[in-house]
Amino acid sequence: MLQVRNIEKYYGSRNNVTKALDRVSFTVEDGEFMAIMGASGSGKTTLLNCISTIDTVSAGEILLDGENIAELPAGELARFRRERLGFVFQDFNLLDTLTVEENIGLALSLNHSDPHAVKNQVEKVASKLGIQDILGKFPYQVSGGQKQRAACARAIVAGQSLLLADEPTGALDSRASKNLLEIMTQMNRDMGTTILMVTHDAYSASYAKRILFLKDGRIFNELLRGERSRSVLYHEILDVLALLGGDLSDVI
Amino acid sequence: MTLSKLSLRNACRQARDYLVYFVTVSMVTALMYAFNGLIFSEEIQTLSKMLRSMTLAIILASIVVVCVISWLVSYTTKFMLTRRSRELGTYILIGLENEQVARLFFLENVAVGALAMVLGMILGNLIFQALRAIVLAMFGMGYHFAFSFSLKTVGLTLIYFVLIYLSVQFRSRRRIRTMKIYDLIYFEKQNEEAVIKKSSSRRRISVVSIVLGVAGTVLILAGNLFFGIVGAGCIIAFLYGFFASFSSGVPAWFEKHNGKKYQGQNLLVFRALSAKLATMGVVMATIAMLFTAVLIAEGTGMTFRAMFCNRAKWLSCFDLVLSVEASVADMEYEECMDYIRENIPVLDAWQYPIYLGDTAEVTDYIGENTEYYPYYPRDTVMKASDYAALRRMLGYPEVTMEPGRTQDGQSAGQYIIHCQPYVGEVLKDWSRPVRMGEYTLTPGGIYTETFAQYLWGVNGNRFILVVPDEAAEGLAVSHNIYAAKTAEPVEESQYEAMEEILDQNVYSGSSFMYSALYLYVRSAEEAEVAVMTAMTVFPLFYLALVLIMTAATILTIQQLDETRRYRQQYGLLYKLGMDRREMMKALRTQVAIYYTMPAIPPVLIGVTFVLNLGGAVEPGTLTGASHPLVITGMALGLFFLIYGVYILLAYTGLKRNVLPETCSVSSVSGSAK
Repeated sequence: MLQVRNIEKYYGSRNNVTKALDRVSFTVEDGEFMAIMGASGSGKTTLLNCISTIDTVSAGEILLDGENIAELPAGELARFRRERLGFVFQDFNLLDTLTVEENIGLALSLNHSDPHAVKNQVEKVASKLGIQDILGKFPYQVSGGQKQRAACARAIVAGQSLLLADEPTGALDSRASKNLLEIMTQMNRDMGTTILMVTHDAYSASYAKRILFLKDGRIFNELLRGERSRSVLYHEILDVLALLGGDLSDVI
Repeated sequence: MTLSKLSLRNACRQARDYLVYFVTVSMVTALMYAFNGLIFSEEIQTLSKMLRSMTLAIILASIVVVCVISWLVSYTTKFMLTRRSRELGTYILIGLENEQVARLFFLENVAVGALAMVLGMILGNLIFQALRAIVLAMFGMGYHFAFSFSLKTVGLTLIYFVLIYLSVQFRSRRRIRTMKIYDLIYFEKQNEEAVIKKSSSRRRISVVSIVLGVAGTVLILAGNLFFGIVGAGCIIAFLYGFFASFSSGVPAWFEKHNGKKYQGQNLLVFRALSAKLATMGVVMATIAMLFTAVLIAEGTGMTFRAMFCNRAKWLSCFDLVLSVEASVADMEYEECMDYIRENIPVLDAWQYPIYLGDTAEVTDYIGENTEYYPYYPRDTVMKASDYAALRRMLGYPEVTMEPGRTQDGQSAGQYIIHCQPYVGEVLKDWSRPVRMGEYTLTPGGIYTETFAQYLWGVNGNRFILVVPDEAAEGLAVSHNIYAAKTAEPVEESQYEAMEEILDQNVYSGSSFMYSALYLYVRSAEEAEVAVMTAMTVFPLFYLALVLIMTAATILTIQQLDETRRYRQQYGLLYKLGMDRREMMKALRTQVAIYYTMPAIPPVLIGVTFVLNLGGAVEPGTLTGASHPLVITGMALGLFFLIYGVYILLAYTGLKRNVLPETCSVSSVSGSAK
């Protein structure tokens, strides 16, 4: 589904170049749940931004369903984002002035889908994610976990093929985090949603089927869950992180 | 860094962040200075003694202005205090005392205010020059630039300014002194509360207010003073009720029209609007009231000005008219004539009688077909030879009419009607012959040049029949007129001297209305127009300008305050894949609706009022460029011109700061990581 080939990303002027991504290549298969881990400044959010077409790569190519997103004109990019990509951010990014239902429906209305069918579609997705009771409420009236599930609903309601999650549990307490990760696992397993999640939390990453480790803009390691249990994977992740060294305050 | 330095730095930032507010305060100061300048300018005050009454009118207007600006400054200060409470809280957190923070904020505001005042006074000098030019032109005097500086003007402006600023600043100072650090730091977290909380009662209020609005408009249109006052009350209730309840109407409406909700940008636009209105409904209603006042003041001002001008125009085509009723002994008339001969250089003059015809046929016909107040019992008549002489004096083209003739015992001829244009319209289809003594006269044409046909003792009331000299013989004389063109405009002192001659003889003991002698002097009429304009129109426009700038500033401050929220919103929408074009469209619609809403009720009310006011003026006065429709259009034009500047400011500000640029987003996200 997603192929990242040798991408590079530089920032700064001629004299002071920062290499945020350095020849990164990997492939995400259809229906995969993949996590990208790394310390602060390792380039994981840059990578996500490049995949999500919010940022451009300096070199290399990114193919989604065989289409090179670097070659899309600006106008097409917007359409590409709203039809193919779903986003879940750390700080929820729901609009305060809209109800939960409207926040989810927004993705559909941006896609110019039939206005009369929106409500039904939203309710269908919401019931799968267990938030059908809060649809009429405003974001400030619901909990962080509920907000994040609403964001997940928005990310898939328009039939987007790839869900990109940037530290989705970053602002949640441990119970809500667990709940959200289970929902995401369920989305991946039952609805076949492909998920690419960026996190620096080992616990969150342990829910993924495959984990990619970034360090200083390069792929450092890769872990596959295989048949192992989640807790075994969790400990392996911690081992890799220990190897990564450096900025590991959140692990220790 | 000392506190005062910090204050100054903050003041610079404040002037930049609240540029609209700063500009408005400067502009209002400028207006205040300019109008105060009129009061204290000796040059202006010596133009006419009557101008003294202008002083009172301008001071009264200034008092209203001071109140309105106090509201603006108080509102904005409170607003800034709210937005910056976190910053002020941080000062206290790092060890400043409340008292020091209060002083910091106070100094900052005084610095900004003082700067606005100085700029305003400089600008005010220019506006004063413009006003001076207008006044001088109204008195027919030439204008030449002369820089003027009046300590009294500066003093009075300063007094107003200190009144406005200090009262507000002392209040905010007291507020800061009693504030707790927790409140300051978490002020932003406190949700602003909606005026009416329960949505069911909101809905009821919205229905009631709309009913009141319709009722109010109908009552005002009824044209009765009592109904009008009740109607105005209804409209005010409507404005407050409507804006306070609007925000509940949107979700309710969306609930019923699910399809519409997700169509285009409806969802974004109306949700943002209702969220804004939920917290500023009352302010919105007040702004709508101010706008209504602006339109009414503008329309009234223009109507008055047009009324004064046109009345004078219809009266004073001659430089001097002296007339006396035929029934009165003309001793005073002769005395006044003597004065004129001795003191006033006359270029050309004509003395002639105005007759009363045998019937009131034409008077009645006009009365039946338009609004007309007859002053004379029968149609007024003038001799063709007098008419020709007057036309020559006024420089109008010569008019030919068949002379009277007698054939087979039948006397016949033609008559001309000279009237005001609106009467001419009525008489278009008039084709009846009139009888004057022995003569039967047929219509020979209608002329509508300006011809002193307004008020008493002139060439008829709005119309006169011009008949062959022979036909006028034997008619009763109504009054005798002396009309003159002078070499120079009659001076105010000369006019007063003539008034005095007439006064001591005729006016003593009887009221002016019933006197039999009339004196009209063009320069005096024009001076009166100028004085009336200065007295009514100037203060009205002064108020209108201040009110619209104040209201538009508050709207704009509120709108620009949304910048951060909008940026967040559009940033998210960009990520979700909204087209930039669509974003611009949504933003445009958002701004457009936000600014249109408080303007709709005022426009409806204002237009109705101005049109009605124009209709109340005696017919024939407001025509052509001063037709009520034209005046309404100009009032609206001026309103939207000023309003438009503010809207444009807000829109460009938002567009620049809110809409994500493709490249800037990447650099921002890049530098952040």
